[in-house]
Amino acid sequence: MDFNIIIKLNKVNFYYGQSRALTDITMNFRKNKVSALIGPSGCGKSTLLRLLNRMNDLIDGTRVEGEILFEDKNIYAKDVDPVEIRRKVGMVFQKPNPFPKTIYNNIAYGPKLTSMKTDDLDALVEQSLKQAVLWDEVKDILNKSAMNLSGGQQQRLCIARALAMKPDILLMDEPTSALDPISTAKIEELIEELKKNYTIIIVTHNMQQAARISDETAFFYLGNLVEYNKTEKIFTNPDVKHTEDYITGRFG
Amino acid sequence: MEERRHTSLHYEMELQEIKNGLIYIGALTEKAIRMAMQSLIERNSDIAHKVIKDDDEIDKMDTDLEERCIRILALRQPTAIDLRFITTAIKITGHLERIGDMAVNIAEKAIQLNEETKLKPYIDLPRMAGIVIEMIKNSLDSFIRNDLNMAEEVRRMEDVTDDLNEQIFRELLTFMMEDSKTIHRSLMIMQVSKNLERIADHAKGIADMVTYMVTGECVRHQTCVVDEKEPA
Repeated sequence: MDFNIIIKLNKVNFYYGQSRALTDITMNFRKNKVSALIGPSGCGKSTLLRLLNRMNDLIDGTRVEGEILFEDKNIYAKDVDPVEIRRKVGMVFQKPNPFPKTIYNNIAYGPKLTSMKTDDLDALVEQSLKQAVLWDEVKDILNKSAMNLSGGQQQRLCIARALAMKPDILLMDEPTSALDPISTAKIEELIEELKKNYTIIIVTHNMQQAARISDETAFFYLGNLVEYNKTEKIFTNPDVKHTEDYITGRFG
Repeated sequence: MEERRHTSLHYEMELQEIKNGLIYIGALTEKAIRMAMQSLIERNSDIAHKVIKDDDEIDKMDTDLEERCIRILALRQPTAIDLRFITTAIKITGHLERIGDMAVNIAEKAIQLNEETKLKPYIDLPRMAGIVIEMIKNSLDSFIRNDLNMAEEVRRMEDVTDDLNEQIFRELLTFMMEDSKTIHRSLMIMQVSKNLERIADHAKGIADMVTYMVTGECVRHQTCVVDEKEPA
C-alpha cells in the first residue's frame, strides 16, 4: 500500500443511460498534491470529478463500473454512506453558490447538522475563513448576507464552507471561470496554500491555470485518459502527440 | 508524424514568420563569413568593409526576432513543442548574431592582413570556413525540418573544425619560431582560425537546441539531467 496515494481508480467505466462517458480509467491521485483534469468539453473530466464524491448518484440512470478506492475502501461499496463520502470529499463549483444566509451561517450550516457546539462553531468559522484567506475581509460583517460579497469573495466563502467540514479532499470544478483575474489569482494562491493540508483535484479549461497551480495533470479525450503525468512534463514535453495537439491549440 | 496546424491561423503565421526570419538571418551570416574569407583570400579590403557595415542588418534582425519571440511568449503563452520552438528560436538568433560578430572580427583581421605581405597561401582556413558555413546551413536545416540526424552530423563536424584549428595553430607556431617578423601576421591568422572555430561552436549550439526542441532533452552539457519521475 502506497501511503502517498489517497484515491485509486481501477478500470472505472461510467454510463449515462446507454452512453458511456468514461472508459477504463485507471489512475491514482496523490495526497497533498494538486491534480488538474484537462480536456475539451464533453471529455469526461467533470464526470470523473463528480464520481469522486458520488455526486453522479444524484443523476438518474447513471451507472459505475470498476472501483474507486478512497484510502483503500471502495466508495461505491454498498455499506458506504454517500453523505459521509461527501463530507470527506468536499466540492467547489464553477459559479459561487453561497446560501442566502449570513456569512457566519454559510460556514456554520454544515457543521451545525453534525451537532457541533456553538463555542466550537465560532472557532471553526474563524478557522475556515482564515484558511480561505477571507477572514480579514469579513470578520466585521459576519452577520451580513453572503450575497453582498463580491464574486471572488463568494467563491472563497464556498471554499471556506467546504473546509469547515474538515474534508481530506477538495474537488474544484472550474472554480475561477466566473471570476476576474485578481479574484482568480487569489483563489490560485489559496490553492497553493491549501495543498499543504488537503488533496486538491481541479477541473479547468484554463491551460495556464493548470500549468501554474497543479503538480500533476491528466488529459482526457472522449472519455479516455490520454495522458497523466507531472504538470511540467505535460506542458513542456508531453509523451502523447494528442496531448500536445490539445495544449498547443492544434485541436480538431 | 505530420504536424497539425494551430486552430489560430494568426498564431501559425507568427511562428512561420519566426522560422522565415531565422532562415534569413542565417543566410546573412553565411554570406558574411563567405565575404570575410573572400576579402582575406583575394586581399580585397573593400569586401571586408562591406561585411562590417552589413552586420547592422544582422543585429537589427536579431533584435526584431527576439522581440517577436517575446511577444509570442507574452501573448500566446506557448506550451510543449511551441514553447520549445520559441525558446530554441531565441537561442538560435543569439547564436547567429554572435556568428555575425565573428565574421566582422575576421573581416577586421583581413583588413589588417591585407596591408601586410602575405605570410603564406591560405589552404586550411578556406577549408575550415567551408565546413563552418556548411555547419550553419545544416544546423538551420535541422531546425526547419526537426531533423535530429542532421543536428547530430553538425555536432560531429565541430570536432573537425577543432582539429583544423589545432593544425593551423601548430603550423603558425613553426613560422613564428623560425622568424619573429611573422609573429604579428601569424597571430592575426590564428585569430581568424579561432573565430572560425568559435563559429563552429555556435553552429553546434544551434544543433544542440534543435535536439532539445525535438526531444525535450538537454544535450548541451554533460551535466544535463532529465527528471522524468512519473506521478503515482
